[in-house]
Amino acid sequence: MVENRPWLTVTRHLVLILGVFIIGFPIWIALVASTNSSSEFVSGLMPLWFGEEGFGNFRRVLTNEERVLGVSVSASWMMWNSFIMAMVIAVGKIVISILSAYAIVYFRFPFRKTCFWLIFLTLMLPVEVRILPTYEVVASLGMLNSYAGLTIPLIASATATFLFRQFFMSVPSSLMEAARIDGAGPFKFFKDILLPLSVNNIAALFVILFIYGWNQYLWPLLITTDENYYTIVMVIKRLMSAGEGNIPWNIIMTTTILAMLPPVIVVLGMQKLFVKGLIEQEK
Amino acid sequence: MATVSLKNINKTYANGHQAIENLNLDITDGEMLVLVGPSGCGKSTSLRMVAGLETITGGDLYIDDVRVNDLEPSERDIAMVFQNYALYPHMTVFQNMAYGLKNRKVPKDEIQKKVEKAAEILEITNLLHNKPGQLSGGQRQRVAMGRAIVRNPKVFLFDEPLSNLDAKLRVQMRIEIKRLQQEFATTAIYVTHDQVEAMTLADRLVVMNEGNVEQVGPPIELYEKPATQFVAGFLGSPAMNFLDASLNGNRLTLSADVVLELNDPNLPADAHDLDVVLGIRPEHMEACEEAEADFTLSVDMIEPLGADTLLYGYFPGTESLITSEQPGKQQFKRGHRLALRVDRERCHLFDKATGKRLGS
Repeated sequence: MVENRPWLTVTRHLVLILGVFIIGFPIWIALVASTNSSSEFVSGLMPLWFGEEGFGNFRRVLTNEERVLGVSVSASWMMWNSFIMAMVIAVGKIVISILSAYAIVYFRFPFRKTCFWLIFLTLMLPVEVRILPTYEVVASLGMLNSYAGLTIPLIASATATFLFRQFFMSVPSSLMEAARIDGAGPFKFFKDILLPLSVNNIAALFVILFIYGWNQYLWPLLITTDENYYTIVMVIKRLMSAGEGNIPWNIIMTTTILAMLPPVIVVLGMQKLFVKGLIEQEK
Repeated sequence: MATVSLKNINKTYANGHQAIENLNLDITDGEMLVLVGPSGCGKSTSLRMVAGLETITGGDLYIDDVRVNDLEPSERDIAMVFQNYALYPHMTVFQNMAYGLKNRKVPKDEIQKKVEKAAEILEITNLLHNKPGQLSGGQRQRVAMGRAIVRNPKVFLFDEPLSNLDAKLRVQMRIEIKRLQQEFATTAIYVTHDQVEAMTLADRLVVMNEGNVEQVGPPIELYEKPATQFVAGFLGSPAMNFLDASLNGNRLTLSADVVLELNDPNLPADAHDLDVVLGIRPEHMEACEEAEADFTLSVDMIEPLGADTLLYGYFPGTESLITSEQPGKQQFKRGHRLALRVDRERCHLFDKATGKRLGS
């Protein structure tokens, strides 16, 4: 639409600027707060411009100097925990779901449809709904306070299975037939043909799932009591509820900025593949 | 260098639908056999059963006298060209052609040699490092052919390979396929719904209808002596005209005014008011003087094709629309009354009840 109506242009820009402001302002607040010293917050007002601290807050948070985080581990360690959790969840989900989608689409086995619908039904049961039974299972398996406990219960994914299923069904069946004639067995077909074709989808899913894993709050909160397994998201909330009314906003905001960084890096790094994976169909 | 033999092949789907009924075909070494028929006639299913992509539910399939019913497609030593080419989109042309050889553990330098040779034959050497997405339809078709010939299989299988191409390219590739098949003298089975393609490519033609073989033979034989009304109507363009008639000995009554005296000793002599269908091709009705005419056609529609002109009109006294093909140099107008004479030698008679050919 190429139209030249000035008031429309103005309105459009106003709406967009408003949108940018709504998204951008909180980030600005967080960024500014992370450079101020704690004394700036005593008045109860958020500073709107950079303070004197510079990277001092970041250094203190990352190394947990003077126990600023109120726990025994540093932010860098917790970011590592978060990273492991997000990576294992994202990779695990992709591996499991691509394999189950492959089985559902390309193999004829008894109760194939039933299997699919069972997987599909789990969409109705996210972690939050089944949290108590899942906790019970993880506890009885002795997986509390471990990376396995943090990640395995979150790995099964109906959404990703469904996405791969749709993609596989859009791959012409003659491709599989050609591969069969070319002497490729099921595993070779998957490795040589299907996997390379799914790269864009995998990338798009990875971005979504990495962020999903990184942002997990409730589950790690529930199953970790050992501070060595705390994730960065958990500690933000702990800081807010810590102490005698003197909330260390500068430390909170510094941690927040740190917690925001990896997802941003993942999105920026995989932007191209991500968009391709969401829009591109057949070549 | 192989023969293919289908013995009482049946295909019944799980839902009980019988796609193929007792199919018997023998394909000799180096022969190009074309399966043709309308969609749903079972021609593709038959081909896919030979390929091993579809299970055979009854009967035996032999390639070179070895029963291959239970062999995987890759073990049957066949190569198939698909309608949508089925090239692997993420591989280069070279990798596409090499994939089958690679899976068969052919040494690398030999693969290189074979692919390059096949590419040379198909004139796609300069495309070897492109991906299928960058190629035109005709080039993709060549690559698909290359993937087939590079393995030097016993049998080529073609599943409507030209139907995604535009008309001009289709003719070009048709000739190319014929040339290649003759050059390699490889046994080939070719499936198409296009009767021109079928006629031009086939050493022998198989016309199929509803899971049954209607007729097998050299294309010209099928064209000149169709065994059933279905074959007669399927082959030839424009299609054959069919007129209901009744037969008494050699007297064919088309309508109250039009009676033809045929001179065919093989017609059933005892025919008495037998309901038959007269088949006559549009090009076998000659324009003539009014006095010699069998009937006059009131021209209702005209399609000038250049070389020929097609004239449509209702056969007098009936509601059957018939087509006449006349040389293109003559000018016609709508409403023109055309005196036509039926070529007695090229009349085809079919039993109305069974659709089978009567007489010679």
